Amino acid sequence: MLTNYIFIPIAAAFIAYILNKRNRKAGAVITALVSAYLLLSLTALYGRWDITQSFNLSLMGYKIDFLLAVNPLSWLFAVMTAAISILIALFSINSQENFKFSSVFNLNFLIIIGSMIGIVFARDFLTLFIFWELMTWTSFYLISAGKKKMAGKAAYRYIILSAGAAYAFLMASIFIFQQTGSFAFDSAAEFLVANSPAQSIMLLLVISLPFIVKAGIFPLHIWVKDAHGNAPKEFSPFLSGMMLKIGIYGMIVVFYQLSFFKIIENTIAYRGLPLLSYLFALLGAVTIITGTILAIRQEDMKKLVAYSSISQMGYIIIGIAIATPLGFSGSMLHLMNHLIFKSTIFLALAAVIYRTGTTKMYEMGGLIFRMPLTFAAYLTAIIALAGIPPTNGFISKWVIYQALIEKGYLFLAIAAFFGSIASFMYVFKPLSTVFLGQLKPQHQNIKEVPLLMKIPMLILILVIVLFGVFPGIQMNIINQISGYLGIETVNYTLYSIQGANGAWNSLLIFNIFSAGFIIALLLFSFAKKSKLVGLLDTYSSGEYITDAESYHYAYQYYRPFDRLFDNLAAKSLTDFYETLTKNLVRSGEGLRRALAAGKLQNYALYSVLLFVILAAVGWII
Amino acid sequence: MIDIIYRIGHFVLITVFSMALGLLFMGIARKIVARIQKRYGPPVYQPYLDVLKLFGKDAITHGFIFDFGAIMALGGVIATLFFIPLGSWQLYSMEGTVILVIYLLAIASLGMAMGTVGSGNPQASVGISRALMQMLGYELPYLVILFALIYRYQTSSVWGLMQAQAGSFLNWNLFAYPLMAAVAFVVLIGMMGKKPFDSMIAPSEIGSGPVVESGGKYLGMLLLQKSITIIIELALFVNLFLGGAENILIFTFKMLIVWVLATMFGSLFPRFRIEDGIKFFWKWPLGIAILQALYIII
Repeated sequence: MLTNYIFIPIAAAFIAYILNKRNRKAGAVITALVSAYLLLSLTALYGRWDITQSFNLSLMGYKIDFLLAVNPLSWLFAVMTAAISILIALFSINSQENFKFSSVFNLNFLIIIGSMIGIVFARDFLTLFIFWELMTWTSFYLISAGKKKMAGKAAYRYIILSAGAAYAFLMASIFIFQQTGSFAFDSAAEFLVANSPAQSIMLLLVISLPFIVKAGIFPLHIWVKDAHGNAPKEFSPFLSGMMLKIGIYGMIVVFYQLSFFKIIENTIAYRGLPLLSYLFALLGAVTIITGTILAIRQEDMKKLVAYSSISQMGYIIIGIAIATPLGFSGSMLHLMNHLIFKSTIFLALAAVIYRTGTTKMYEMGGLIFRMPLTFAAYLTAIIALAGIPPTNGFISKWVIYQALIEKGYLFLAIAAFFGSIASFMYVFKPLSTVFLGQLKPQHQNIKEVPLLMKIPMLILILVIVLFGVFPGIQMNIINQISGYLGIETVNYTLYSIQGANGAWNSLLIFNIFSAGFIIALLLFSFAKKSKLVGLLDTYSSGEYITDAESYHYAYQYYRPFDRLFDNLAAKSLTDFYETLTKNLVRSGEGLRRALAAGKLQNYALYSVLLFVILAAVGWII
Repeated sequence: MIDIIYRIGHFVLITVFSMALGLLFMGIARKIVARIQKRYGPPVYQPYLDVLKLFGKDAITHGFIFDFGAIMALGGVIATLFFIPLGSWQLYSMEGTVILVIYLLAIASLGMAMGTVGSGNPQASVGISRALMQMLGYELPYLVILFALIYRYQTSSVWGLMQAQAGSFLNWNLFAYPLMAAVAFVVLIGMMGKKPFDSMIAPSEIGSGPVVESGGKYLGMLLLQKSITIIIELALFVNLFLGGAENILIFTFKMLIVWVLATMFGSLFPRFRIEDGIKFFWKWPLGIAILQALYIII
């Protein structure tokens, strides 16, 4: 029964591929239908947390179990995957008309949906690994299908990091299999708790590697910018909204279900928090700061938003790592909210790219008068991202602040505050340079996007406001997850949340904000009516303005600020990794020259030697 | 029904009172600055005349975002005002307010930024970009201070933080944590865009920056927004560091003292370059705030 959720999308993927060859729109329609089916049937699954399914396989004397089960945590992730896929598929029906790889896109996209549901339902390492690899490889093809030249290189970097981490994960899980005779999480958790702490911690750190890579946590975040910036515009919302989160899912599994927190409970602690947890939280803090500073510097809007995703992931990691009830709830809230507003931002930008064909911010301007709905979607989403009430983004950040202040984690809080205030800067940059300011002459005749692309954006706007006023809807499922993982729950009602040293009431905020707005509106409308003039009809200190293009402040918007961090940004981690790669290649080259300089006899000798060694090892064991 | 009318009356009363008080403060400031520069200066009631005149004048607009920005700016600060205790007046006490106030003020700033950049004037964009950079400078020490205060008194409501300083005036945070109060005072000057930190306005350089395109009722609304913002920021300082007050008269007196001091300090210094301003905020106020916060949490 649970396999339906996994294999229906994967089967549909091939149908979509074939049909899409006939008709460019068929693939996206099938994707939308399949995701809608998934969402509906997942809703029916709600509350039935006892469903499990397993398969056996006997291989070379080993009995291998494949276990699937559903619990509140995996249900939430599956629902989020299905819901966002519907919107993206709806959006891409029209936007993929001219996309060369649209068949491949839908094939891979559906396989990713299926494999992600497989990942969250998996209850043993092997199932998790299989679907994880499936997801990684399909997303690799998707990223490299991007239009730009860089897309291939970006995808390459992504696959190398992911694959390296995933094989380390496989090694660790095989080690555990050797000790316990099973890949299942439950027996692994038992073994790890009973084992020596040092070894268990090592194993769990290795197991969490692929999740850290996928979540884009510093210092393994280097793939995020290029992959997000160069992926096809319809895939970026999914990549940033959902696939980064699957890394967080894995970390929750490691922390709670594989009892990482239980193992490190009695190690050295700082302010009541085990040092390793604090290190994870510090990584989150560094992630926030680097992501933010680099986001502010970008001139490419997709890369800017990609860096902002990195920094927002930092909040989620901090909340999970400090492991208080408020921290965990705040993280889960932020995880959902980030999915919502980040996909809105990426969809709005995709709409802009669809019409203008560029991602460079300084090549645009004044699009608000041509694409008002896209602007509204972007504006709502950035208000949420910057954490301004009354939207959902503020609530989750507020809960995380509460958690940090409660325990007095000053430095984590400074990073969180920094990321939040600086997010005003980087979200305002596209607002100002793409949507506001002077309209370029070549964009005079741009129209708003077609209806099918508007609908997903409208839905997302409504969801942002809905969750901004009624966070209780989200808290319901979060408290079930907390209960399932054995964390204390947080008190809440439909529109209020109880923090550690204060409460939050979003309905009240919403009403007051409306009241203030109405007073201002009344004042505005009672005053004299004003005269509408053009954008070029402005005060220019007596200069004569000839063209709109040179009258638009867009390039290097925050230059004075960037100047402060020029030195830091020059020492990029990417360079470090690239130097490492170069040295590795060079030493490999040297080795090849020394050992295998093209003599056939040598190769024969090596084969014989290898055979002898293997035979000897086999005989000794 | 009576209840609703009563409530609306309260809304209007507090809004009008704060606008009037803010404009009066602006008049006083102009007088003080003039006297420091050995000028006579305009009469104290000049800002009232300005606002009345501006609302009567013809104005130009650059499209709906320009209108929407002005409304959002004023609406945002009015909404914030209802959460601040002014003496014994407070419409809504919500326990999470201190952090909320900072973020609600951001609504107004976002509205103003959006509206003015929507005018298409690059000078407005330059001003807004500077204002946002400077905001990152001063908000960071301020939030660290709030962090320390909330941790110290275990409440995040402005009212609760004010109550915690009750009793003798030696309980005021001004005397209990003088370094923190000094930092907050510097931050206050930055928040209000006074002299060392006024590069976003810089009249002689970028044509008054954000307000360059506003005229008529738009400028009038932005003046009202400015006046309420001043009251909010001063009220926050008085509540957090001067122990608030029992009634509105004493409260106004305390706000006036802080305002006069801030104005005097402000008119003594030349303008910071924008990155120097940020560096200054991150070096001294942030450093001191972190030391003080460490002292409190350890």
